[in-house]
Amino acid sequence: MSVAERERQSRSSPPRRTRQRAPDNKAALAFLGPWLAGAVVLTLGPILASLYLAFTDYNLLQDASWVGAENFERMLTDGRLHQSLFVTFAYVAISVPGQLLVALGLALVLDRGLRGRAIYRSAFYLPSLLGASVAIAVLWRLVFGGSGLFNGLLGLVGIQSTTSWIGDPDTALGTIILLHVWTFGSPMVIFLAGLRQIPGELYEAAASDGAGPWRRFLAITLPLLTPIIFFNLVLAVINSFQSFTQAFIVSGGSGGPSDSLLFYTLYLYQEGFSSFRMGYASALAWLLVLIIGAFTAINFWLSKHWVHYDN
Amino acid sequence: MTNRIRRTAAGTAAAAVTLSLAACGVAQTQGSTELTDEPVTLRVTWWGGDTRHARTQEVFDLFEEAYPNITIEPEFSDWSGYWEKLATATAGGNSPDVIQMDQLYLASYASRGSLVDLGSQPQLDTSGLEPAVLQMGTWDDTLYAMPISTTSTGLLVNTDLVEEVGVPLPDTSTWSWDEFESWAEEVTDESPGDTYGTNVIYNEFTLQLFARQHGDQLFSEEDIVIRPETLADYFQLALDWTTHGAAPSASTTAETLTLPLDQTLFATGKTAAIFTPSTMITAYAAAIDAELELVPLPTPDEDTTSYDYFKPGMYWSVASKSEHPAEAALLVDFLVNDPEAARIIGTERGIPANAQSLDALGEDLTVEERKAADFAEQRTPHLGEAPAIVPNGASDIETILSRYLQDVMFEVRTPQEAADALIAEVQSSTEAAQ
Repeated sequence: MSVAERERQSRSSPPRRTRQRAPDNKAALAFLGPWLAGAVVLTLGPILASLYLAFTDYNLLQDASWVGAENFERMLTDGRLHQSLFVTFAYVAISVPGQLLVALGLALVLDRGLRGRAIYRSAFYLPSLLGASVAIAVLWRLVFGGSGLFNGLLGLVGIQSTTSWIGDPDTALGTIILLHVWTFGSPMVIFLAGLRQIPGELYEAAASDGAGPWRRFLAITLPLLTPIIFFNLVLAVINSFQSFTQAFIVSGGSGGPSDSLLFYTLYLYQEGFSSFRMGYASALAWLLVLIIGAFTAINFWLSKHWVHYDN
Repeated sequence: MTNRIRRTAAGTAAAAVTLSLAACGVAQTQGSTELTDEPVTLRVTWWGGDTRHARTQEVFDLFEEAYPNITIEPEFSDWSGYWEKLATATAGGNSPDVIQMDQLYLASYASRGSLVDLGSQPQLDTSGLEPAVLQMGTWDDTLYAMPISTTSTGLLVNTDLVEEVGVPLPDTSTWSWDEFESWAEEVTDESPGDTYGTNVIYNEFTLQLFARQHGDQLFSEEDIVIRPETLADYFQLALDWTTHGAAPSASTTAETLTLPLDQTLFATGKTAAIFTPSTMITAYAAAIDAELELVPLPTPDEDTTSYDYFKPGMYWSVASKSEHPAEAALLVDFLVNDPEAARIIGTERGIPANAQSLDALGEDLTVEERKAADFAEQRTPHLGEAPAIVPNGASDIETILSRYLQDVMFEVRTPQEAADALIAEVQSSTEAAQ
């Protein structure tokens, strides 16, 4: 049967066409159903519900009552919210570049045909698998506690210290940033993949033109790697804004010492589940969505000026 | 096609509305006060450790034997996570029938209509309890929670460590806060390395007692009413102790604030004394191999004859959504009043609030339990009226207190600033909850 014939036939009998297509649709829907149900009931539903709750006073035990923009007005004068924003921004501003630099540096070293690269790669990736876990956060308490491993190491090089690094408001955030930087594995693996994409003849050509290693890095590696850097940057910014577990475990859920570990999500959790201000917590969640959205948008806008795509 | 989109959108909106409705529905369903012969299932929830779970289960077995038509489904967890879970279950209209309640949360739940008036349940006998203790189970003059046990607060001293250091306690029956501080400082000075005299104090119970020693009180029925000066003095204690060396440094204190009991500085022999509810002596004795002694709190140099009170350690409450309030009340009665149940539970939940239950324990008391019971008896002449329970909206007073305490110890705020800020914060929270 030629195409023209088929065309003619189908045109001449439109009812049959619908009959033919309907079962296909049903099957597709049936396969899609579980996911669709999950997306609507478990994701979209709660998202919409939280948008509604953001404009209410809701304590979990009584009905939510509409209060308009009151929750958002309260944010302007909420000192702990401002503290949590400060902590979170400081964390993002230091830990994201820190982690990416370490990841890029190690990727460059590992890309140089080192013997046993697979082993190194796995070893360096390990912290990424563990870093977000509760166990490592607990370990961090032991390392940076007053009688912890870190002070023990300082003692070995002759510095006597009994400071609790996680108990002092000036250093507690630093230990969490260090923990985050330590989990450089996944950006490193992505950088490695990006480095392998760079054609070797470019380096050869540059070398024969007399470019040294540093020049080759600046003129070839870095520009060609910018899409990868951009990708890692966007992911890292989004992830670090949502950081919760480490601060929760290290501070025992309090955000202390003296609110120095009061991450945004931790404050949100406290408001919702400890103080039972679910309406305010929902409003906080939406503010976080706006903040992350804004940062991602800025990232994409800025990318026009520094990210080079091949084609 | 557009039709389908519209339908999907409508369906989504309907789902969202259903969800938010499901989350909001706290209707009052009042079951019968009469017992039934029909099969009944009761869900019971509590927080605690393994010993408590085992002993409670044993009492349930006994209860189910006596009332074969009633089946009990236990749901227990740790303290952390317990209140989050209970709040979400209650919000979802899925609250357990019988709930182990705490003074911090009683007003929050009672004022929101989530609990049954136990006074109107004929199955529950409250006559075995002191009126002042029973009073602390009421909110708005209605009994919403049956006190299980009582406790007082004292200073728990590691006498082995004190002897080893060689700084004997002064006469603790009349000692002042100043005397206490100099004693604790001396312990720190005389002991080797990182051992200290005491820990800072930062809980609601000690703050209540401190306020009452100064003729003040922490809460009224609805609000925080403590004078800022009293609260500032309380913060000043912690600041003095950490800066003068009576207690560990601010950063060590901050690090150890949230540790489990058996890892605390006192339980590991790093501090010689700790302010604690007296019944905690059992738990500390299990964690540390040392002779422990309970002594009264220091006092200011004022008339403090009747500042003390016995605080209900915990309560049993019945959810207003329960379909079987009569059976639930019957179980509460069994848990608190039955002599056989009392013998099984022992002092695991504290010194029984019911005097007969305490008598039933008699010879069964361990050395530590006997010490706690004796301490309670020793405090009896100093008892005053029961204070108001923690009002609605102030359930997180302990977290707030420890937060401001850290601000003071790290000198982010002066004691006076911290006191003013704490009062303002709690006030705005209680006002919002009304």
